[in-house]
Amino acid sequence: MTDARSALLAAYLERRGDLTRFFTLRLKSAAAAEDLVQDIYLRIAAVEPSVEVRNAAGYLYRLGSNLMLDRIRGERRSAARDHEWRDNHRTLIGSDEVSEDPSADDAVAARQRLAAIVAIVSELPEQTQRVFRMHKFEGLSHAEVAQALGISRSAVEKHCMTVLKRLAERLN
Amino acid sequence: MTGRRDEDGPMEVAQQAAHWFARLLDDAATGDDWLDFETWLAAAPSHQAAYARLEGLWVELDEVADAVAAALDAPVSLDARRAARARPTLSPPAPPRSTLSRRAWLAAGAGLAASVAVGAFTIANWPNSPVETYVTAAGQTRQLTLADGSKVWLNAASRLDVRFQRGARRVQMADGEAVFDVTHDPSRPFLIDTGDREVRVVGTEFNIRQRADAFALSVRRGLVEVRPSGAPDATPTRVPAGQGLSHRKGSAQAVIAAAEPEAAFAWTRGQLVYSAAPMNQVAADLSRSLGTPVQVADAATGRLRFSGVLALDDKDALLRRLEAFAPVRAERGPGGVVLHRR
Repeated sequence: MTDARSALLAAYLERRGDLTRFFTLRLKSAAAAEDLVQDIYLRIAAVEPSVEVRNAAGYLYRLGSNLMLDRIRGERRSAARDHEWRDNHRTLIGSDEVSEDPSADDAVAARQRLAAIVAIVSELPEQTQRVFRMHKFEGLSHAEVAQALGISRSAVEKHCMTVLKRLAERLN
Repeated sequence: MTGRRDEDGPMEVAQQAAHWFARLLDDAATGDDWLDFETWLAAAPSHQAAYARLEGLWVELDEVADAVAAALDAPVSLDARRAARARPTLSPPAPPRSTLSRRAWLAAGAGLAASVAVGAFTIANWPNSPVETYVTAAGQTRQLTLADGSKVWLNAASRLDVRFQRGARRVQMADGEAVFDVTHDPSRPFLIDTGDREVRVVGTEFNIRQRADAFALSVRRGLVEVRPSGAPDATPTRVPAGQGLSHRKGSAQAVIAAAEPEAAFAWTRGQLVYSAAPMNQVAADLSRSLGTPVQVADAATGRLRFSGVLALDDKDALLRRLEAFAPVRAERGPGGVVLHRR
């Protein structure tokens, strides 16, 4: 009877303070957190009523965290654009400027980094690779991966953790 | 899981961060999981740094997803993926939450409730009891327990006239807003007359708002019957839980639609919830709830639409939030606040 929007709205109203505090910690800015929490509300208003949400509070935290990740993505893209622009610009200025990392080097660095990621992941046990690929690249939820591979949810979590830990250790 | 935070070395912190990250990737992670995560995160700056690092990596993986996926094995069957995608978001059941919690009533209303006579004995002896009038000023809300045990939470700038008779419990509310949690009593229906519509209840919980010409009802629990005021023989419209009814004075038709009871009840938590509401309605609500006149500078400002949640905690913070989320500027003057379109 309660549709997704009502359930989410109820959880939102109840947890608005919690969410604001959490994202203030994450974003290190109360104003940015307010913005993000307001954004969460606007997303709730756009949720299809037919969607079933049984874990509304978790959904809201996840929604906010995804909005944060989107922001990180946006920043990375604009940083990349700035970088490119600066490099091109530098070439125009001429030889006075010492180009410490021109675009060609960037491309090489990106290739090397990709190779490193592939190497790290492919050294992992096969099942770990499979879980990682299904969750990260094919967009299956933990429950779906668990079901598809006939393993427990906590096993899925453990595999994901292994990948993350290894990547964090080995990449700089 | 959080470990001995002070003594954890970088390796342990990285391990914990990876654990939390993996845990929260699961859409089954509950609100409590997130609160636990917050506790861990707040424990040390190194925790935040380690977690942010993983987030950065996670995003980076998206950018190289195709290349990494191609370099690894062939993808898992497409059918499995489609089957998974076809289903909407799934998550485990959350424990059912009570709606307007009894605790809230008890906690907030204790003082008032204690001063009001309660009990069947009293009611039985009031064949035609006198009218009790309850009024709230702008900026003030009030929780009441009526003689039959029904609870009323009166919003700001509202007036309620209550009269209990042998065969009916009658309430008049010509200008106001209130949440009613009505005690079940089939022998004495609870009747609320707003001058425009009459609402008949047996036992249920709902919000009614009558402001100027606009009547709005949202039902959270139970079933409510609505008739035009002064027409006791008119066929009632029955409004079940999760639905609402709105009517404009003079109009031949009432509109029944799925309601957001949570939004309608939000004022009882000190929040105002709007979905594309015209700014002049927002201003009118704020005037009543803040106890300070809030006006729009002109008709165009009044027509601006606003979506968002305003917490009624602190007036200045509220106006700042409104300015941040709507294209308006709030000008504070001696006569109150005027909203200007930016």
